[in-house]
Amino acid sequence: MPESTDLLQGTLDLLILQTLALGPMHGWGVAQRIQQVSKDVLQIGQGSLYPALHRLEYKGWIKADWGNSENNRRAKFYVLTAAGRKQLQTELASWERLSAAIALVLGRIPQVVS
Amino acid sequence: MIHDLPIRFRLFFLRKKPQELDEELRFHLEQATEARIAAGIAPDEARRQALVEFGGVERTREQCHQQRPGWWLGTVRQDIRYALRGFRRNPVFTIAVIATLAVGIGATTAVFSVVDRILFRPLPYAQGDRLVSVGLGQPLERQEFTLGGFFFEWRDTQKPFQSMTYEMGYGDCNLTENQPVHLHCISVAQNFIPVMGIPLQLGRNFTAEEDLPNGPRVAMITDGLWLRRFNRSPAAVNQQINIDGHLTRIVGVLPRDFEMPRLQPTDIVQPAQVDIAEQHTVNSGIGYPMWAFARLRPGVSVAQAKAAMQPLYLHTQQWIPSELRKEFQLQVRSLRDRQMHDAYTAAWVMLTAVLVVLLIACANVASLFSARGAARQRELAVRSALGASRGRLIRQTLTEAFLLALAGAAAGCLFAEILLRVFVAIAPTGIPFLASAGLDLRIVLFTVLVSFVCAALFGIIPALEKPRAIALAARQTKSSAHARLRRLLVAIQIALSVVLLSGASLLVRSFWNLQQQNLGIATRNVITVHVPLNGERYPSGFLDFYLRAQAALGHLPGITTVGMTDSLPPIGGQGMRYPELRVVGRAPTPAGLGGTVSVRHVTPDYFRALQIPIVNGPGFTDPERNSTGHFMILSRELAARMFPGEDPIGKRIEVAIFNPYRAPGPVFTVVGVAANVKNAGLTGDDGPELYELATNQPDTWSDRHFFVLASSLPFSVVAPLIRSTIAQLDPTAPVEVSSMTQTVSQLADRPRFETALLGFFAFCGLLMAVIGLYGVISFVATQRTQEIGIRMALGATRMHILRLIAGEGVRLILVGGLLGLGAALGSAQLLKSLLFNVPPRDPITYAAVTLLLAVVALIATLIPARAAMQVEPVTALRYE
Repeated sequence: MPESTDLLQGTLDLLILQTLALGPMHGWGVAQRIQQVSKDVLQIGQGSLYPALHRLEYKGWIKADWGNSENNRRAKFYVLTAAGRKQLQTELASWERLSAAIALVLGRIPQVVS
Repeated sequence: MIHDLPIRFRLFFLRKKPQELDEELRFHLEQATEARIAAGIAPDEARRQALVEFGGVERTREQCHQQRPGWWLGTVRQDIRYALRGFRRNPVFTIAVIATLAVGIGATTAVFSVVDRILFRPLPYAQGDRLVSVGLGQPLERQEFTLGGFFFEWRDTQKPFQSMTYEMGYGDCNLTENQPVHLHCISVAQNFIPVMGIPLQLGRNFTAEEDLPNGPRVAMITDGLWLRRFNRSPAAVNQQINIDGHLTRIVGVLPRDFEMPRLQPTDIVQPAQVDIAEQHTVNSGIGYPMWAFARLRPGVSVAQAKAAMQPLYLHTQQWIPSELRKEFQLQVRSLRDRQMHDAYTAAWVMLTAVLVVLLIACANVASLFSARGAARQRELAVRSALGASRGRLIRQTLTEAFLLALAGAAAGCLFAEILLRVFVAIAPTGIPFLASAGLDLRIVLFTVLVSFVCAALFGIIPALEKPRAIALAARQTKSSAHARLRRLLVAIQIALSVVLLSGASLLVRSFWNLQQQNLGIATRNVITVHVPLNGERYPSGFLDFYLRAQAALGHLPGITTVGMTDSLPPIGGQGMRYPELRVVGRAPTPAGLGGTVSVRHVTPDYFRALQIPIVNGPGFTDPERNSTGHFMILSRELAARMFPGEDPIGKRIEVAIFNPYRAPGPVFTVVGVAANVKNAGLTGDDGPELYELATNQPDTWSDRHFFVLASSLPFSVVAPLIRSTIAQLDPTAPVEVSSMTQTVSQLADRPRFETALLGFFAFCGLLMAVIGLYGVISFVATQRTQEIGIRMALGATRMHILRLIAGEGVRLILVGGLLGLGAALGSAQLLKSLLFNVPPRDPITYAAVTLLLAVVALIATLIPARAAMQVEPVTALRYE
């Protein structure tokens, strides 16, 4: 099992919103998707996934509905709301600002030719 | 966030069902297992791995739940429900706490509401704290006054005040219209209203012309008179009323909360119309008496003002006869100090007492909570092990403390309201503003807060301690730290109640002495009648009226004796300085020595009506009333002082007149010696007294004489007859009829009130301390049940056990009692001025208090100790 990486505070929300932007998905799907896309670097346990999903739902950024899964099991599907889409844009922008800033500090700006 | 509100609102009502989350989690687990099966792992192993990776579910559940906005509201509801269930399971604890809080909060609130009006109330004047009273103090009159001969010089040359004003005091006056009413009229300076900062309801202040001698007759009326006479009609202003036969124009109406700075009863305020130029000639050249008030300049303190006034005072001293100068001194003090002259001590004593009660109540609540906390340690440990956070445990305790404080506060407010009504009902008129005291919400809030804090503080301690695994494992739940704290609290409670008890006992003894003392006069079946006469109707003097009234009253059924006097014991008559009396043929006593002598102007029947025995000599006789001679009866004390070892009968005494000071006056013949009579109020020492015979010389009779009647019929029967008799003689004169018993009893109202109040507090304090002691001992006994079982199994007798448990209580009683005795002896001086014939460190009182406390506290100890003693060893061993 690859070493799990501690996620920055608030980053999980961003990851979930980004993942759900692709379409409705259930909790398991969100976790799997993040794990695959991150090449197994980001593993999200149920202990942090579900509280985060509930938090986003309470904030009104995502909506939950019961539906049927691929193997015909009843599952809860989460969908991004309009407010969530807006929030995703804001968080993406601030993430880019942040990562650019960190990159600057660490002196690893890819464009710069040494 | 405003735009969130609808969502929050919706979510608040649409609660998620817990099953939904469970289903979601189950789905997640199934997916994880299937993913592993798909990867080729055997189903059982796949399931095992998935479960291991999945981890605990409870925490996730809790965290999901906590994402909900306002989720903690639910836990508050839970806490409340849990607390209420706990209270129901433990009703003794609940009732004890609520009762303690109710008594503490109730008593504190009620007394604070009363005392607040006395000590801290705002004066009804604009910036009342800048007002001072300025005047002379002297032994005959300790409350400062001034004289016309001084005041105007002071007013015109002083520096420390913005302005000075005066009032000339209370004068009887009658509203002589269709129905005569006896009113209180007060004469004031023209600038009195503006200097004191009194806002008029209606009309205007006096003009300068209206304050000139013989100026137009004008008056301001109080709100009370405005209501009674004019039903608050604005048309009252400019109307004329008939005061003592003079038409007087009303120019203004005083505010509703109006009061004179010396708190005299007031109906009408009139301009004094003082002739300033005359002040160095009238009244022996010192001017009319008046009471001066001034408004301090900004930044000037009372002490600075006094220092600045001293040279002016020294300058005006020339008007005081030189022999008396050193008796007088300048007094400048804040108006509040003057008003509360002797109510201060009582107010502070009550305040201290009630704070002690509050302290005891808090200690009691604290020790109850602490005992409960110790008993619940295992419960707390279990809850903590089941995942309750420490914050949650603290919140639970706070909820309990808050609920109890709330219930206590509700009961306390009710109790305070009842207490306050009782206070007002039993309070004497001497305590100012009591009748208008109302419950003060700020104070209720304050006391509730205090009790909440002490409940919370001591409730939290067990929750704060890290719930140890030991507490779960150990069969012992006793915590020695708590036990120490509780013992300390109980010892403090005992100490405080000793302080309260001894204060109350001192007052009870003092009151007993007061009631038992010999006044020197008969009070039963003695009726006094006061008829304030209108001088205008009696141009040739009042004597004629008094003689006719005496005859008429003497013919009433049941009236056996009719005496007359110008003042009534046990209050003193007019004051006179001892050196103003000179035995003919002897050198005068040097001025300033010998104190004062009370003088009464009486008819011969005065002594028979009040049953004052004439112990030597013939006394006054009726034929002497018609002579032009001067006759005098001395009190036994005065006779012994003036004629030690001699027979005073037939001696001649010259009474000096005041202007020029100590010039020879009339010479009196001593015709008798009367037994001593109380003449300085109930609590004062008997002073020397002399009686002048009231002869039938019209100029010696004032309008202030009293009739003293001995009656063989009850007061209620005779009083109406007296009224109608006087009304036949002068229909315009108001009549005041009172029974001597009632008058004397009213004098004792103040000490009765103080005693009752402090006694009540002491009772509350003792009760709570005893409850606390009982609680601790029975708690200790319960906790040591197992130990008791072992001891008994090892051969301890029941007596040993009794000693073991009761010893605990006895130690507390000893420590608390000794501490309390020390504190009580130390603070006893505070009570000194309230005590009558009891030394503040009266040994009998302290012995009695100690005994009482010891007995009551021992009972509170022995009951639970006895219960512990009777425990069956087998039961005790199996306990828990």
